[in-house]
Amino acid sequence: MAVGRRPMFGEQQRFMLFLIAPAALLLGLFQVLPIVIGANASFRNWALYNPKKDWIGLDHYRAVITDPAFLEVVLPNTFIFMVLSVAGSLVLGLALALLLNRPFRGQKIVQTVLLVPLMVAPVIAAIMMRWMFNDQFGIVNAVLEGLGLEGQPWLVERWSAFGIIVLTDIWLWTPWFTLLLLAGLQSLPKEPFEAAAIDGTSTWRVFSHLTLPMLRPVVVVCIVIRAIDAFRTFDIVWTLTGGGPGRSTELFSLYAYVLAFLNLDFGRGSAAAIIGGLIILVVGVVLYRVVDRIAKA
Amino acid sequence: MAMVRTPLMFGRMPAGGRRALFALALFGICFAFAFPVLWLMLTSLRPESGVYYVHRGLEFTLASFAEVLTDERLVQAFVNSALISTLATVFSLLVTVSSGYMLSRFRGPAASTWFGTIYVFRCVPYISWVLPLYFVTQSWGIYDTYIGLLLPHIAVHICFFSWLMKGFFDGIDPSMEHAALIDGCTRWGAFLRVALPSAIPAISALAVLCWLFTWNEFLFALILTGNKVPVITVVMAQFVTEMGLRWNLMAATAVMALVPAFLLALFGQKYVIRGLRI
Repeated sequence: MAVGRRPMFGEQQRFMLFLIAPAALLLGLFQVLPIVIGANASFRNWALYNPKKDWIGLDHYRAVITDPAFLEVVLPNTFIFMVLSVAGSLVLGLALALLLNRPFRGQKIVQTVLLVPLMVAPVIAAIMMRWMFNDQFGIVNAVLEGLGLEGQPWLVERWSAFGIIVLTDIWLWTPWFTLLLLAGLQSLPKEPFEAAAIDGTSTWRVFSHLTLPMLRPVVVVCIVIRAIDAFRTFDIVWTLTGGGPGRSTELFSLYAYVLAFLNLDFGRGSAAAIIGGLIILVVGVVLYRVVDRIAKA
Repeated sequence: MAMVRTPLMFGRMPAGGRRALFALALFGICFAFAFPVLWLMLTSLRPESGVYYVHRGLEFTLASFAEVLTDERLVQAFVNSALISTLATVFSLLVTVSSGYMLSRFRGPAASTWFGTIYVFRCVPYISWVLPLYFVTQSWGIYDTYIGLLLPHIAVHICFFSWLMKGFFDGIDPSMEHAALIDGCTRWGAFLRVALPSAIPAISALAVLCWLFTWNEFLFALILTGNKVPVITVVMAQFVTEMGLRWNLMAATAVMALVPAFLLALFGQKYVIRGLRI
């Protein structure tokens, strides 16, 4: 390539190019190209029952953003889920990290137990929860009835089903926060804490004035990464409720999936997928700014 | 505030009480996180007649596991998942190690463009590209084939792993490579023979994570495969909806699918934890 321009395209540039070429090629073929094709499909009539593929402009986008199911159920669900799941696992994870941040016997065992949820497939986690919260045979209802309380049809009502989805996600991700924050805590310098101990500073003040500000960078990155991943949650919703009862627990990924593969309207499904991608792009940038600013304040 | 010194947490308790409380808290935490898995294991060991009342009765059997192992589709799914996870790990590492090395060692427009690209694509929700990927694999004739599932699994890790690898290489002092270059080593030689060996621990960590991510992945297989390439997560999800009443089989399958997770938690801890550091 470009033999005549050797100064511009020297040995070092060629080396750099070769290093990233395989990765760039795969990324191009399997992420960039599909997104372009999806964008193209989203402007066309492209459904199994209507495969004309003619250009209809922004009709699909209009249909999606005026769809009451999207506006009133899917979008709020997705954001509520994102906030509850991230906040829940952050608070729990931080509490656990603070508790575990001291040497004790059995540390290795606790760490091993905490690693397990991280290794478990979301689908399996959802199956476990579905079994535990089964309305007839689940252990949760058995325990409730043993205590003289009434068993609940957990997965049949909207908010209890939604709560179980959030709970499953918190179970899956709290250990991730714990391990990262624990690593962060252990890398903090000792001196400020020793000084605070000599001054007799209260535990809360040590936490809010020393620990938290010093942990800030780790916390910010954790929140942003987790929030972006929580936005695309699919597996646990699909396995736990399938979006039901009705469509009341659908999150964004499931909504796009249902449009494309159950309603077989690929055009509209692609439009929904692109809208979601754009939303998370904006959310990601805003979130980074906001969390960073809060952390700095 | 300044006058009244709030005691440190548990400060007023005698040391023994504090330790007991701490031990109790630890036990509670472990129990809460382990319970769902333990319950699943218990369910898998119950005979079909006892599965609906797992907490009553004490008969245990391995019959469910035996039945899972005679189910051709399930065995096929386990084999497929293992095969695809292993191949995806090998190829992902091949492409991302070099890409991470480039990000770590070079500055300038090319490096920052590539970094920006992977950063943006890391944030794109899977559904936004896997949904149209369905058409792409169909038009290339690789829908519902090994290769059609394997390639996206390699592609999905490019962004995140290049980023992680960059971090790992950043932690390795480049002066050895400079010395090798001065001694007449080629750039490839410096990369492959000097930098790469020091990155082996980091690469092992990524290998463990990559294998596990692929083994656990669900959405790709759901969209990109039909009946010809069953993988374990999809088969289990179908189980729940189609055979929802046979919980002992369900549980046995899930427990078997958890085995790699346990092995890694037990023996690969060091690597997993290193890989999880962002």
